Amino acid sequence: MEIIEKIKTNKSDDNLTEIQKICLHKLQSSPLPNPKSELWRLSNKSKFSNFLDYSFNEKDSKFDIPYPKKSQSTIRLIIGENCQIKLIEKNYSIQQLSEDELQKYIKEQISFFKQNENWSDLLNLSLSYKNNILGLKINGSKIPPIEIFSHASSNSLKAKTLVIFLEKNCNVELLQVNLGKENSSLSQSTFFCLKENSSVNHGVVSYGENRSNLLNSLNVIQQKNSAYNLGSLHFKFNYARFEISIQQSAGNAKTNIKGMQITKKDEQISTYTKIEFNGPNGFLDQINKSLADDKSHAIFEGSIIVPKIAQRTDASQLSRNLLLSNHAQIDTKPQLEIIADDVKCKHGATISQLNEEELFYMRTRGITLTEASKLQLSSYFQEIISFIPISKDKWDLLDKLLNEN
Amino acid sequence: MVNENLVKDVVKEPYKYGFVTDIETEKIEKGLNEDIIKLISQKKEEPKFLLDFRLKAFKKWQKMKEPNWAALGYKKIDYQDIIYYSAPKQKEKISSLDEVDPKLLETFDKLGIPLTEQKKLTNVAVDAVFDSVSIATTFREELAEHGVIFCSISEAVKNHADLIEKYLGTVVPASDNYFAALNSAVFSDGSFVYIPKGVTCPMDLSSYFRINSGDSGQFERTLIIAEESSSVSYLEGCTAPMFDTNTLHAAVVELIALDNASIKYSTVQNWYAGDEEGIGGIFNFVTKRGKCLGKRSKISWSQVETGSAITWKYPSCLLLGEESVGEFYSVALTNNLQQADTGTKMIHIGPKTKSTIVSKGISAGKSKNSYRGLVKMGTKATGSRNYSQCDSMLIGDQASANTFPYIKSQQPNSEIEHEASTCRISEDQLFYLQSRGIEFEEAVSMMVSGFCRDVFNQLPMEFAAEADKLLALKLEGSVG
Repeated sequence: MEIIEKIKTNKSDDNLTEIQKICLHKLQSSPLPNPKSELWRLSNKSKFSNFLDYSFNEKDSKFDIPYPKKSQSTIRLIIGENCQIKLIEKNYSIQQLSEDELQKYIKEQISFFKQNENWSDLLNLSLSYKNNILGLKINGSKIPPIEIFSHASSNSLKAKTLVIFLEKNCNVELLQVNLGKENSSLSQSTFFCLKENSSVNHGVVSYGENRSNLLNSLNVIQQKNSAYNLGSLHFKFNYARFEISIQQSAGNAKTNIKGMQITKKDEQISTYTKIEFNGPNGFLDQINKSLADDKSHAIFEGSIIVPKIAQRTDASQLSRNLLLSNHAQIDTKPQLEIIADDVKCKHGATISQLNEEELFYMRTRGITLTEASKLQLSSYFQEIISFIPISKDKWDLLDKLLNEN
Repeated sequence: MVNENLVKDVVKEPYKYGFVTDIETEKIEKGLNEDIIKLISQKKEEPKFLLDFRLKAFKKWQKMKEPNWAALGYKKIDYQDIIYYSAPKQKEKISSLDEVDPKLLETFDKLGIPLTEQKKLTNVAVDAVFDSVSIATTFREELAEHGVIFCSISEAVKNHADLIEKYLGTVVPASDNYFAALNSAVFSDGSFVYIPKGVTCPMDLSSYFRINSGDSGQFERTLIIAEESSSVSYLEGCTAPMFDTNTLHAAVVELIALDNASIKYSTVQNWYAGDEEGIGGIFNFVTKRGKCLGKRSKISWSQVETGSAITWKYPSCLLLGEESVGEFYSVALTNNLQQADTGTKMIHIGPKTKSTIVSKGISAGKSKNSYRGLVKMGTKATGSRNYSQCDSMLIGDQASANTFPYIKSQQPNSEIEHEASTCRISEDQLFYLQSRGIEFEEAVSMMVSGFCRDVFNQLPMEFAAEADKLLALKLEGSVG
């Protein structure tokens, strides 16, 4: 109940938007997710309550981007700061969704919410308000890459919401960056709607600092012939959850997901994915990698749901995990739920440490152990990082991962 | 193009073990309370420690909730509407098989279970359990010569109380889960096997479980202890008549393997599965677990699950001893409205432990077939290894196949590999076989048999033939 009180103390009932009221009402019946449910049972309870500890306020402190300066060709938006955009060019247009469109879409989404599966969204939508909600309608092709930032400043809990409509035949590259400052909590919910024949290369890079927390939820609806490519990377969070829900609403769509999470110290980072095929000829190729070191805990749970209507679905899911320390822990649970019979579905999971034979081979060639492990790690990381739509000279993620502690 | 109807016809086959033996039975009243448990214990003339064990389990059971996490849907079980003890009436003491009611012998004959002299050639010792009691155990003298104890658990309680007291409930404690607690409180009979140090059991041991009454549950308990450097292969078969009510079967099986010992436990489960509309059938809730206590000990589970309306079963291995090995080979076939949630748990505790899981699920009709497994590497399981493979085959577009593997590792020097796939009977392969003059029905049967080959190879020879036949029967129908 505390969380509800927290929101209310900041605002009187009259100041709440309709969406906030609906979500608060839903949260009231069960204010916290059920710790026994599959999606929350492995979540570290004290870390989760730490997420909710920070005081919530709507105002953002000035955001100082520690990242490369915006280049000419990139469109950069910071949720909560410069959300105003209206670009109408020859080949493309990027406009903000009207208040009505935004309300209508979010309300529709809320009606499908389930208490445990969408708890993070309910929290996000009951907290986020006006400035912190960005809705975009993107149309056309040859659109310059878009970068969208969300951040939480120190000692606070922030909620940011992003809604994106990709119109028919639209084709875009979009990088989403979530930054957590020291001792902060960020709740980020993203809603994607891909219309027919549209395609997106979506990158999600979430990068925390000391003791920062993140609840990152991503809801994607794919219409016919759309292609959704997601490359994601989560690291340096005290506690982070990445919840992905993708629905191919009429099948005939393509989904590619390559995700990675890296945990060190006593961090806990988890990824939950749910991919539903509601029509025939769907395609999915998913790989999720985890690396757990020190006393950390990495979790992956992925479910693929293929109902009777989804004939000729081709879905594969792979969970690859590196466990590098005696005190670290990895949990993985790839699952398949299949009713259609004419399908090709497979999944696989492995947990191991760095391959000793490879290490030995490199050492016999005079490469030091540290260098050899670095080489192995970089090849492990590279598969995912190369899938994230970033310009390499601006964002040297690989270097960051290999050289930072 | 495969004719959908043909495939559907192929998977229809009536249950041939559905007859009821008309025999006078002794039943106690329905319901479950302390007095009933005391009555069961008294009827079986049990020592005090066992009655205490039962009552303690009952107290725990009362505080527990029926689990609902499995992907199973069934109507609520009324535990007060079940008879917890039912036994065929017969003379007080049976000294030889000649004194067993001929009707019972006939029943087991009909089921193809050799209890009488002429079948002794098969070289399998059988313990036959009918409803709540053990009817007969064959080849006892021969086994006794080697020091092997093979008898019903009731007899073991009387004659080997020390072993029972020492081991009962050590692998599956009464508080383990809801159905284990229920079984611990009311278990009626089952088999007991003790293989002394250094002995390789001279023949396969087998238990045959038969439910005959429609309103009584069956709660058997099996305990197998393999001492240092011993080995045994144990087979288990089950059938039940067709009733339009659901009968509850909640069994517990405990295996203990000490240093260098090996236990192979094979099951062909063919309880009545209910009719096409899903009326009747056995609710099968079984807790099976083996403890590899000793160094280089080995426990291997193989199962062919074709019956039961509901199956809830996870034969597991606790790998404690250094270099101990756990194996699980399973074929689960569901048809009509059957539901199966089955799999295994491999808990690696000791160093250099190894486990292999091969699970094949076949779903036909409107059935639901789920694999649920746990592989866990503890912090001390250095150099351990697991390999899991779960394949599902779907026949028809209304059946469902689910896979829920839970994988947990806390040990970097161990390796876990898991792979799962789902497919249907490939049209190309069917076409190929048919073009070589093989009948459609036989082709389907061959494909299923090929799909299950990895598991059948692990079954003892007698069972492998039976299992292959059983699947073929289940998939055989009125084609052409």
